[in-house]
Amino acid sequence: MAAYLIRRLAYGAVTVLGVLLLLFVLFFAVTNPDDIARKAVGERARPEVYAQWKTNHGYDKPLFLNRAYGSGEARHYTDTLFFEHYRSMLTFDFGRSDADDTPIADRLLRGAGPSLSLTVPLFILNLAVAVGVGLFVAFFRETLLDRVVLVLCILTMSVATLLYIIAGQFLVGMLLKWFPISGYAGDSSVIWRFLALPILVGVVAGFGSDVRLYRTIFIEEMNRDYVRTARAKGAGDARVMVAHVLRNALIPIITNVVIAIPFLFTGSLLLESFFGIPGLGAMTVEAIQGNDFSTLRTMVYLGALLFILGQILTDVCYAVADPRVRLA
Amino acid sequence: MLRRLVQIAVLAAALAAAGCTNDPYPAADKGRKVLYSSFGEVPKTLDPAVSYTTSEHVITGNVYDTLLEYHYLERPFKLVPGLAEAVPEPEALPDGGQRYRFRIRRGVRFHEDPCFDRARPGQRTREVTAQDFAFQFARLADPAINSPVASSFVQLKGFQDFAKRLAELRRADAAFARLPAQEQYAKAGGIAGVATPTARDLEIVLSEPNAQILYWFAMAFTTPVPWEAVAYYDGREGRANFADQAVGTGPFRLAVYDKQLRYVLERNPGWYGLNPDAADAPGAVFPTAIDAADVAAKRIDPAYAGRRMPFLDRVNFTREREGIPRFNKFLQGYYDDGGIIKESFDAIMQGDRLSPAMAARGMRLDREVEPTIYYIGFNMNDPVLGTKGGEGSRKLRQAMSLAVSTETFLQLFLNGRGVPAQSPLPPGLFGYDARYRNPFRQPDMAKARALLAEAGYANGIDPATRAPLRLTFDIGNTSAQSLLETEFLVSAWRSLGLNVEIAATTYNQFQDKVRRGAYQIFRWGWVADYPDPENFLFLLECSNAQAKSNGPNTANFCNEGFDSRYKAMKDIPNSETRARLVKEMLAITETERPWIELFHVEDFTLSHAWLVNSKPMGLSYPAYKYRDVDPAMRERLIAQWNEPVRWPLALLIIGVIALVVPAVRTYYRERT
Repeated sequence: MAAYLIRRLAYGAVTVLGVLLLLFVLFFAVTNPDDIARKAVGERARPEVYAQWKTNHGYDKPLFLNRAYGSGEARHYTDTLFFEHYRSMLTFDFGRSDADDTPIADRLLRGAGPSLSLTVPLFILNLAVAVGVGLFVAFFRETLLDRVVLVLCILTMSVATLLYIIAGQFLVGMLLKWFPISGYAGDSSVIWRFLALPILVGVVAGFGSDVRLYRTIFIEEMNRDYVRTARAKGAGDARVMVAHVLRNALIPIITNVVIAIPFLFTGSLLLESFFGIPGLGAMTVEAIQGNDFSTLRTMVYLGALLFILGQILTDVCYAVADPRVRLA
Repeated sequence: MLRRLVQIAVLAAALAAAGCTNDPYPAADKGRKVLYSSFGEVPKTLDPAVSYTTSEHVITGNVYDTLLEYHYLERPFKLVPGLAEAVPEPEALPDGGQRYRFRIRRGVRFHEDPCFDRARPGQRTREVTAQDFAFQFARLADPAINSPVASSFVQLKGFQDFAKRLAELRRADAAFARLPAQEQYAKAGGIAGVATPTARDLEIVLSEPNAQILYWFAMAFTTPVPWEAVAYYDGREGRANFADQAVGTGPFRLAVYDKQLRYVLERNPGWYGLNPDAADAPGAVFPTAIDAADVAAKRIDPAYAGRRMPFLDRVNFTREREGIPRFNKFLQGYYDDGGIIKESFDAIMQGDRLSPAMAARGMRLDREVEPTIYYIGFNMNDPVLGTKGGEGSRKLRQAMSLAVSTETFLQLFLNGRGVPAQSPLPPGLFGYDARYRNPFRQPDMAKARALLAEAGYANGIDPATRAPLRLTFDIGNTSAQSLLETEFLVSAWRSLGLNVEIAATTYNQFQDKVRRGAYQIFRWGWVADYPDPENFLFLLECSNAQAKSNGPNTANFCNEGFDSRYKAMKDIPNSETRARLVKEMLAITETERPWIELFHVEDFTLSHAWLVNSKPMGLSYPAYKYRDVDPAMRERLIAQWNEPVRWPLALLIIGVIALVVPAVRTYYRERT
């Protein structure tokens, strides 16, 4: 197990270095740092201001090799954009936002709370509903209920998330008037009022694909011999479904679930934007719209890092959930 | 079984509905004079030397007082005293320069802030002095601050010398560069043209007359700034940056600033306007000369005449990233004012009025033409379209101008929210003539074809290539909307037989083309800094040409007649002579056609009946100190408008039951 973990972590480290190389090409070689500076300080800024901004944000360094080393101006051959990019990302020293000069680490810390307050309950509720309904319709397979739910699943999968957001705001916020249409409050006593609607919308939007997946998994398990044995031994329906079918279906569920966990930190792009939640998803959208390259670079890097960690975590969870799985 | 299911569903729904409300505000706000508004774009900086956008001005304009202000109600705009006791008259100086003397009001104090503790322990505020204005002028000149309006103060004596001195000292001496800003400015000797003979007297000396300089004293750029705030808010040891703070003297202070979520302006109890000796201060008392039309339209409540401002306890701004939820919350009454989103325009408007449904809710629509101009420009250095092409090129530009219909453009893309432009000058400005009709801005395809033939391009054919004349329209925006708008404009020229290609690039690539002069036709816009014709006509003055000075004259229009008149008109007060000069300049642009003037933006603002004194000021000028709300009316109407509609819930419950019942029946059938 330990050897496997070390090997996976080593693969992961190589992948991270590759991701960083790709990011460097996209953000420094394809995008000209001069363009980034011009966008940030304004087209008609004085040359000294423009130069100062580039220095402050580290965009004034050469791309790969600092040939000025020894002239007294540079610290080292490696005082370049390439090495600085790797150093800053690998040490989690993300620097300052190109758009408003605030430290990116501060923005991440400020945004993580609102993002997690949305994504964690949404994730748990989504999982509970999808597994619950999946189990339910699997039990009632080949009935009218099963067919109607399947049609509903296809329907919900075919509709864009944006429509759910608008429809949810209209139905719950405008007609039923249960919750505010949008907004957020840091106060824990009222936060649920602002999160209830986006969570509801998120659950409905993710309903179709998840229910279909879990239904298929459960039906597959229900056809196995151990289920017949359990029934023959007189186990009730509820016990068969929960203690036997659900338990044995854990491996594919874990695959689907654990890989999603790291992305809870990066927030939800659409839900946060439309419901006015100041999380990391909305921050990413804003970075794209506002040419905030340093923030965007950081978010892409963190996304890749979390994905790699999620995959390693999934493998570990297999071993924990199923004693037959041996990691070597 | 079925009955039990229904009972459970109804109970669950009742429980869910109990205590749920769509009111996004805390109950403690009820009955208080709080104005609720929203913002989409996050302010980049609140530093008054730098902040330039409307989203920033909403804060800076309310938190920072200025020496002069615009009269809230009078049009054309008129300057009145703010922190200054009077609007100063220019004094001619023997060297050809000009001097303005400002006497600062007594008892003007900064907002209470921890930064003042630095200078004197325990101190929370202090009185404003003339040195605080001088400090801000030094900041405007400081190259490290990068004020976007620094070039507007070059006529201030010693302004540029000070900037150069400061930059040189910083380059030469690293220890100097590390000193606090106020010490650096003092060591660099300050700006020669900014004198502070006493703590309440500020003198501004210009190297040459400039009639427009006073407008700049009505903007937050020239507000007094305490050096303590700049020194304290340095972004170190957990302190915020000065760009995220606002320590001013205004009627409101910045109480909450979470720029991703909300900000709150709170009434400043130490505002100078509340002092006993400010009873006649124009900036502190609601104007008494009220136009009957404003009263009839319920934009102004005459009962407020002569009353001390401000009337609100708080202004609460909530971040709304998307237009649809923002507009829906406005319709529910949770925002007191708002614009109209494109998606709901037809439901809100009927012709040029509010729809009966909206009018029945007591909603008001205020329309204000903004001091803007959007136009298509020709690069006058281009051999085909520009000056070098002589009469032929001029006729080609005239023909192209005649082909473009702004009315259709406005209807198609802006729901008619704009006024077709006849000249660069928008309504409400000195020199604007409402009766004037530009002969080349009345769409006439037959006349356009005739002019095209006279230009040597009959039916759009270039005799040199015997193919349609090929032109390029450069745009720095690759969005579908922008492409569609440009396609509309280009289609008119294509119907003349011209082959106009759209070159859509990113903004940076487009800027690069402009820098290199590699463009023929472009689309641009301008929003005025102050309400004067000079602030529009300078966009066509030769010394401001992009090719010559990287200036804002992107059309590179250079015309001696225009330039000489511009020089003559720019520094003189409004008069018949000035009106004549402006008219002659407009006549030159009419014939020469460096631009095809498209439209002036018309802002549609909706307000609820409980928002009092909603007349917009234009110029992105914040007017919250004039505004008031009636909280009781708001509460009553919000309760009335937000009665839950329960049938969708009933429908949902029936749907769930219709799904579950067959399943339960199947289950029992299988088991029995």
